[in-house]
Amino acid sequence: MIRARALRKSFGKHDVLRGIDLEVAPGEVVGLIGPNGAGKTTLMSCLLGFLTPNGGSIEIDGRANDALDVRRQSGFVPERMNFDRRATGWAFLRYMARLAGVPASEVDARSKAMLERLAISDASNRRLSQYSRGMLQRIGMCQALIHEPKYIFLDEPASGLDPNGVLLVRDLINEQKQRGAAVLLSSHQLSEVEKICDRVLFLSGGLIAREETLRHVDHIVVAITLLPGSYEDATVARIAGVSAREHVVIATVASERAIAELVRELAASGAGILDVRQHKADLESIFRGAQ
Amino acid sequence: MNVVVILETLRRHVTNGFYIAYLALIAIVALGASNFDKPASLWPTLIGALAIICGAGVIGPEFSSGTLQLVLVKPVNRAIYLLSRVAGVVLAVWIGAGVGAVCEIVGRLAWGRAAYAGIGLTLLNAMCDAILTVALLALLGSVTRAYFNVAIYFAVRFTFGVMPLIIGMLRSSRNDLGQFLKEYRDIDKVLDIVERNLFPDVLPRFDRNWTLMVLANAAVALLLACIAFRKREVPYGAD
Repeated sequence: MIRARALRKSFGKHDVLRGIDLEVAPGEVVGLIGPNGAGKTTLMSCLLGFLTPNGGSIEIDGRANDALDVRRQSGFVPERMNFDRRATGWAFLRYMARLAGVPASEVDARSKAMLERLAISDASNRRLSQYSRGMLQRIGMCQALIHEPKYIFLDEPASGLDPNGVLLVRDLINEQKQRGAAVLLSSHQLSEVEKICDRVLFLSGGLIAREETLRHVDHIVVAITLLPGSYEDATVARIAGVSAREHVVIATVASERAIAELVRELAASGAGILDVRQHKADLESIFRGAQ
Repeated sequence: MNVVVILETLRRHVTNGFYIAYLALIAIVALGASNFDKPASLWPTLIGALAIICGAGVIGPEFSSGTLQLVLVKPVNRAIYLLSRVAGVVLAVWIGAGVGAVCEIVGRLAWGRAAYAGIGLTLLNAMCDAILTVALLALLGSVTRAYFNVAIYFAVRFTFGVMPLIIGMLRSSRNDLGQFLKEYRDIDKVLDIVERNLFPDVLPRFDRNWTLMVLANAAVALLLACIAFRKREVPYGAD
């Protein structure tokens, strides 16, 4: 279990993380989404031990996140893979495998298997400088998963990948989930997050503005257009949980009955209701609502 | 020490075209110097420069390039990683020193000049000096990014070089600072001692005190580098 409590991180006077609570259970894939500057990378960096939080705590299976035991079981794919570009893919992967603690006798076999799995065997003897962005991303996945980690941190894993690569990465993440790894994934590709993740955390202004379970729960997004001047912002926000924007309240509810209840409460507060539209929630609409 | 890191560091050097070209230059210079009466001329200076060039990349550029993030999630102690990187770089410099010494000996054999005596000792001292240079650059690299370490290294070295001149000029002035510098002439000695500790000249003979001084200073620099590196934050990317 990856767990962060009241995590705070500031750079000078700028508070980037302002009290993040987060849990990723074994066998769970959690997505981290949010606008630029929301603190996704900072949060990931704190969890990985690259940055020291100003407050709060991080523990992974009850141990410090920078404990060698934890790192032995951690895998990380950065958004952009950077390494000595003169190294061949094969040499790079072998080096990473050895550093990750893969037994010397298994390094070659596992490296070969990973390169085959990510469909870049043919490029293994080419230098990294000759790799495309997508190929670098694939070999980044290889190095992160070669030691079968229990805790996996992925920063934009599908970035730069062709459609085949995206499908491959999706399958790989599902495989990690099946074998019980806890996966935290940061991405701007909402449709991809939706397909992969069990749960999504919306980061905004250094806080988790919203948390959504994507599997097993059907959400309905309802857009209620209010008559201008007929309502008070605070009252609408209290009833709907979100403020009206340009006189439209976009809320997420669990059932059609809840829509009727919401409309009834708004009407009871004196708000004039001009229009009510509903549709199944996708991540994009939830994201729009959370911002 | 982590052998995997040491070997990888060495691999990056020996597969680098510039490094190979530089070794060729050392070989040519050493062969040329083998014709001189004085053994171990010229090429030890190239070894000093090689130590600076290779030492510049010990850790600073890894902060900037993002390589470090891939490594720091692996189960490798930060201090051990840094020391292993230093060891790999020092080995790469030692290879250069070995090439210089061997080429000079081969040259002397070819020219029929039998004065080998100083070569081995100069080689030993150049190897010790390389440790100190790389250690200092590792220390500077552990608190800066990219190649700022080598810029600071040269700035400090230059400052120590011109300091006696500046102090001499200030001493001739009649203000309070001039009077102060006239009164405390030991300042020159202190600066000289610090300079000789940080940037010692490679001796052509064995001097136990010199060797101990160089190795002790390198050890202190590495200790400070490890402390700084352990605490160092390694941000990556941008939101």
